[in-house]
Amino acid sequence: MTITKLFTAIFMAAALTNTASAETIRIAIGHQSMCTDTYTAGIVVKELGLLEKHLPRSGKYTDADYEISWSDYSSGGPITNQMMANKLNFGVMGDYPLIVNGAKFQETKSLRTKYIAGTGYNLKGSGNAIVVPVDSDIYTIDQLAGKQVSVPVGSAAWGMLLKAMQDEGIPAKDYALKNQSPAVGAANIASSRIDAHADFCPWSELMEFRGTGRKIYDGRETGIPYLHGVVVREDFLDQYPEVAIAFIKAVHEAGQWIKADPVKAVAMMENWTGVEKEVLYIYFSEGGHLTLDPTIKPKWVEALKADHGVLTKEMNMPPLDFEEWVTEDYLKKAYSDLGIDYDAEKNTIVDPGVANAQLPVEIWHSRNGIISYASIDDFLRAIKEFRETGAKLNATYVYDEATGLKLFGKTAFFVKSSDGFKAFLRKPDADTYAMKNKGMVMQLEQAIEGYSS
Amino acid sequence: MEKNHALAGDYMRRFRISLRLARRNKALCLGAGAGLTLLYYIVLLSAPMIKFQQWPNYVTTYDWLENVGRIIASTPSWSDRLVIINDEWLFEIGYMNYDFGIGISQWSLFVAPIKVLEIMIFGALLGVLFLIVRSIGEASCSKRNLWAAKATGGVGAGLVALTSISLSWVVCCATPSWVVGLAMMGLGVSTSLWLEPIGWWLHMAGLGLLLSALYVAAGYLPDIDKT
Repeated sequence: MTITKLFTAIFMAAALTNTASAETIRIAIGHQSMCTDTYTAGIVVKELGLLEKHLPRSGKYTDADYEISWSDYSSGGPITNQMMANKLNFGVMGDYPLIVNGAKFQETKSLRTKYIAGTGYNLKGSGNAIVVPVDSDIYTIDQLAGKQVSVPVGSAAWGMLLKAMQDEGIPAKDYALKNQSPAVGAANIASSRIDAHADFCPWSELMEFRGTGRKIYDGRETGIPYLHGVVVREDFLDQYPEVAIAFIKAVHEAGQWIKADPVKAVAMMENWTGVEKEVLYIYFSEGGHLTLDPTIKPKWVEALKADHGVLTKEMNMPPLDFEEWVTEDYLKKAYSDLGIDYDAEKNTIVDPGVANAQLPVEIWHSRNGIISYASIDDFLRAIKEFRETGAKLNATYVYDEATGLKLFGKTAFFVKSSDGFKAFLRKPDADTYAMKNKGMVMQLEQAIEGYSS
Repeated sequence: MEKNHALAGDYMRRFRISLRLARRNKALCLGAGAGLTLLYYIVLLSAPMIKFQQWPNYVTTYDWLENVGRIIASTPSWSDRLVIINDEWLFEIGYMNYDFGIGISQWSLFVAPIKVLEIMIFGALLGVLFLIVRSIGEASCSKRNLWAAKATGGVGAGLVALTSISLSWVVCCATPSWVVGLAMMGLGVSTSLWLEPIGWWLHMAGLGLLLSALYVAAGYLPDIDKT
C-alpha cells in the first residue's frame, strides 16, 4: 500500500468516525498542576466541575453530549504540541509559553490559536524569583557575579533572570548560566550544588517553605507584569464559540470561589496538586502574589510583546501578530452573560505595594486556622505564646515593608526600631531601614527573642 | 540536449546497479535497516540513562492511528499535516521525578513511527552503500575513492542521526527535539535552542550526502549484469 493510499484510508476512517459522533463535542484541556497561576483555568475548574456547569445546553447544543478531558503537564511546551495535533483544544500556560504557542501556530499555513482570557497576574512580576541555598552568604543579586546560576530556559523565570542581570549591569559572561528544571534546581538548592536558582511560581516559595532556599530577588523588581492565560484552537473557537464563553465563565467562577474562602480553597488545592497549602496560601490569600482577574489589559499585551522580543533574540522565535492572536470578544460576551462590567474590571489593576500596605500579618495555627494581627509586635508575641503552649504553627506570613509582597515569616528579615518591628524580603533593604531608624536587623527567631527582651 | 540524455542515462544506470545489488542482498539491506534502527534507539535511550544515572520509571503508549486520523481531519493544509504527523508519538519512556507535586518528567525518549520508518530507510541505504563499497573494493578501485564514499556517507549518516534525536530533557526542552542531543553533549542550552530551526536543513543535507555517496560510488561499479 502506498503512503498516499494509507493516508486516504486513514482520512476516510477519521471522516466516518467524525460523522458517526456528530452529537458529541470533545473538549480537551491542557493545564499545569505545578504552576499556581494557571489553577483558575485548570485544576479548580476541573475538580469543581465548573465547565460542565456553564456549558451551553440550548439551541444547537440541545442534543449535544460533551466529552471533557483534562491533561496535566509540567510546562507549556507539550501543551502547544498537543494542541497542534488537535489532541487539546484549550491550553493554560504562562506568558512565555503563551507566546511560543501563538507564534508556532502562526508559523503554520492553516492553523491558529487565539488568546482568549487571562487567569491572573502580578503587576510587577512577583511569582518569579531567584533563590539561594538557605545557608548561603549571598544576599543580593550583584553577589551572583562569577557564580553558577540555574533556571529553566525558555520559562518566564528565565526572562526575569536575563532582565534582572541586565538591570544590575552583570553581563552574561560574568556568571555561568545553567539550564535546570524546577525539580532539579530545587534539589540542587537543597544540597547547595548550585549558587542560585531562578524559577517560576510556586517553586521559590516551595523551597522557602521546606527550609532549603531563601529568596534574594523577587520578580517584582523587574517591574514587568507576570501573567498567565488561556489559548484555544481557532477552528474549535469558530465551531463552538459558546463553549469558549462557558470556559471563561468557569474561570471567573473559579476565581470567585478562591476569593470567597482562600483557606478552604488552598486546602482542597493541596489535595488536588500535592503542593503544600501553606505555599499556595502565599499566592491565593488576600494580599497574595496572584491577582485573580481574567481580563486582558493593554498593559498585558505590551508585556507579552516585550517577552516576545526576548524570545526572538534568544531563541530565534517566529514572528507573532498580536492583533490577530489576542481577542477580548469571548471575555466580553462571558462577562455580559454574567452581568459583570468587563471594562470596570479591565481598568482595575492591583498593585500589591499599595493594596497590601494595611493588611494584617498572619499565623496559620494548625488547629485554629489563620489568625490575623494588626502589628508585627502582636504577631511576635503570639508566636512566643503559642510556642510556650506547645501549639503547632503551620506557617507565618508578613509583608515586605519595601514592596508589600507577602512573605513567610521564617524567611523575612526583621528590623526592630523605635517604630516597632518591620519586615523585609531583602537584607540590604532591612540594613538600609535599620541604619536610617537606628534599628537592628534580625531574623524571626531573634525577633521573637528581641520582642521578649 | 544529448548531454542531458547522457546524464539521465548515467543516473538511471547507477540507480539500476544499486537496486540490483540491493535485491541480490535483500537480507543484508533489510537487516541493516532494522538493525541500525534498533541500535539507534538503544543508544538514544542509553544516553540519558548513563548521563543521569537513572533507570526509566514510566512508559506511556499513544493511539497513533487515531491521533493521525484526527490530525488529518482537523488540519486543512497537507504540508502542516505532514509536519505534525511526523512528530506524532507511539511510545514514550522516561524518568519521572516525584519529589514535588504529582511528578515531573525529567527526561524521556519518544518513538514516532514516521521517524522510525525514516531511520529504517536510512539504515537500508547505508546497507546499500556498504555493498557498493565492498564491490568497489572487489573491483580494485582506487582506495581514495573508496575512502571518499565512506566518509561522505558517514557524515551524511551522522547528520541524519543527530537531527532525528527524539529526546526530551526538561532542563532543555519540554518537548522532544534534536537539540537535546547537542545540549547533552555539552553545548550551551541557549545556543542549542538557537540552532533548533536549522535542524530540517541539516537533516536534508545529511540525506543529500548519503545519496551523493551512493551516486558517486555506484559510478565506479561495473554493470552487475555484465559481470
